[in-house]
Amino acid sequence: MDSFVLLKKTLPTFIEKLSDEYDVFAPTRKDNIFEYKLISKPSDINLDFVNSRLPPKSILLQQTETLFKFKPGRKGKILPKEISEDKKIIFAIRPCDAKSFSILDTVFDSDFKDPLYLSKRENSVLIGLSCNNPGVNCFCTSFGDSPTSSKFVDILFTDIGEKFFVETISDKGKKLVEKITDLFEKATEEDKNLKDSAEKEAIDTIKRNMKLEGVVEKLDEIFESQLWHSIAMKCIGCGTCTFLCPTCHCFDMQDEATLKEGARIRVWDSCMYSEYTMHASGHNPRPARMNRVRNRVYHKFSYFPKNSEYTACTGCGRCIEFCPVNIDIIDVIAKVREVKV
Amino acid sequence: MVNQEQLVDAVKKTVSREDVKYVVGYEKGTYGCEVTPSFAHSSEEAEKFIFTPLCVHNLAIYPKLEEKLPLGRDEKEDTRKIGLVVKGCDSRAVVQIIQEKGLKREDVVLIGIPCTGVVNPKKLKSRYPNYAEIVEIEEKDSSFSIKFNEENHTIPKEELLFDACINCEYPNPPIYDILIGEEIKSTNKETYEKVKVVESKSQKEKWAYWEEHFQRCIRCYACRDACPLCYCKECMVDQLDPRWVRRSVNLSENTAWNIMRALHLAGRCVGCSECERVCPMDIPLTELNKKLEKNIMEIYDYIPGISEEAKPLLGTFKPDDPEEFIL
Repeated sequence: MDSFVLLKKTLPTFIEKLSDEYDVFAPTRKDNIFEYKLISKPSDINLDFVNSRLPPKSILLQQTETLFKFKPGRKGKILPKEISEDKKIIFAIRPCDAKSFSILDTVFDSDFKDPLYLSKRENSVLIGLSCNNPGVNCFCTSFGDSPTSSKFVDILFTDIGEKFFVETISDKGKKLVEKITDLFEKATEEDKNLKDSAEKEAIDTIKRNMKLEGVVEKLDEIFESQLWHSIAMKCIGCGTCTFLCPTCHCFDMQDEATLKEGARIRVWDSCMYSEYTMHASGHNPRPARMNRVRNRVYHKFSYFPKNSEYTACTGCGRCIEFCPVNIDIIDVIAKVREVKV
Repeated sequence: MVNQEQLVDAVKKTVSREDVKYVVGYEKGTYGCEVTPSFAHSSEEAEKFIFTPLCVHNLAIYPKLEEKLPLGRDEKEDTRKIGLVVKGCDSRAVVQIIQEKGLKREDVVLIGIPCTGVVNPKKLKSRYPNYAEIVEIEEKDSSFSIKFNEENHTIPKEELLFDACINCEYPNPPIYDILIGEEIKSTNKETYEKVKVVESKSQKEKWAYWEEHFQRCIRCYACRDACPLCYCKECMVDQLDPRWVRRSVNLSENTAWNIMRALHLAGRCVGCSECERVCPMDIPLTELNKKLEKNIMEIYDYIPGISEEAKPLLGTFKPDDPEEFIL
């Protein structure tokens, strides 16, 4: 890992240089909503944010994506889709959201290698931005991560006042900085100290904490608990928690066609919908909201840690913040631990 | 302010009735200004019930949300009543559902609360973005007193209320079984200010305005799920054959969804603003609903959900109904 500093006033030049070779996605603001968007100029960027409303998973796993096109009818044929190799930069991604890509990799880079996700993933460079002011519902530290973690990014930026403290982590990151090395200066010991104190301050800001010890084992024992009924009673079954979740990745596939042309698309789906598990026969293996609420918790906190090295939650807090009825995942896990077997 | 003791007593009395399954009300949430729906199956569980200006949720969704799973061989359907804590607009939603025969009056026991307006959490959060401790809030005449970080802040009510609450003409529940406190005499008059702003735009500008909002929609359907009047067994957007709205999330399909949602609520929407509150993408859905409310009032002199005896607007016909708008 090498450390540099980049003067804040040099940031626009840095972004412009990147734009020559890459599609740069960065946080932009519209009213109260921050969103990662393809930017056309450095001034589109707004870094005055806690986190984006929709997670940046929407860049690698777009909400609606065409798998291939076709011509319907007797003389119909499939028109395969060319997989784009466009190089992307996701600038100012938060460490929690960067981690979500490593979690998504375990899904899309497993038995079946998903070409659409993986081509985008391989062609993306993640430039992280440390979270100096975590939000009210942030709890990444509960997973052993930090708001200034560099573990899942290629390059990490940390705001240290007049400058960004820049750490190059992966080979991808190092190569990128090498090409424009004249924009950077070597970091001094003082810069490093400023980063360390920013990290300490950020960690101290985090007020909420999820205790995870024993949760995987406990969940094995309480599948039939009344707890799931009581949570599901207030759940209104909207998919907000899953749509805003950086690790939720379920999608539906549909053929959408006119008489002349059609496309097979995939589009985000949500396990909170009854239709999600509806069989063609009319049988629904998760018939009630209880089954669906329970599945969301088990998928993230039981099935995932059993099958990979991760819990499928990064502590970004979006589902807590935007649940219309205050179903709070930190509270749910606390209640799981309290249930008497 | 609602008398806490009186509320808890009323809930206890209701939940103790043999013909009542449970009562739905509010309890403190897990952080900040959050309040969460609460279900009391017993008198003990009624103790945690509260009513504050943060009790935003329209609990009238819950009777229709209750799932009726297939019964076992010896099981009988539980037909007992559901108790609901209702504000003015919540009670209007119940009236509207009863009019439409979605519920029977005897299915519910209503604990009515004359409401002086509830706080829009989005407005509160934008003022105090970073809090985890429970925020305490009290209503004092025309302002809210908020205790936050050990400090008391006084904020004029209209800066925090939902837009729909500021000029709410129906603060009292039109139907109830028990009323907490006294009915409020309201002199409010809905002025449709925001609707008029959009109305004054040219057709092109109107499209541009709504397109900008609709293109953000992620079609999570939280607006539908939080709406007490959206209780179709199967929503048109979930139907696959025929497919009224495609699953693709793009401006065209999003527009179709949002317009159809609004139109399906014409003459039915009671203006509680729940759709707008729960929208994760901040689409100003109330403006659409209010526009339809205004048109319907002007054309048919009809206000949804204020009288149990009235017939639903779309279920009635009068030979002298105006029809100037028919092309």
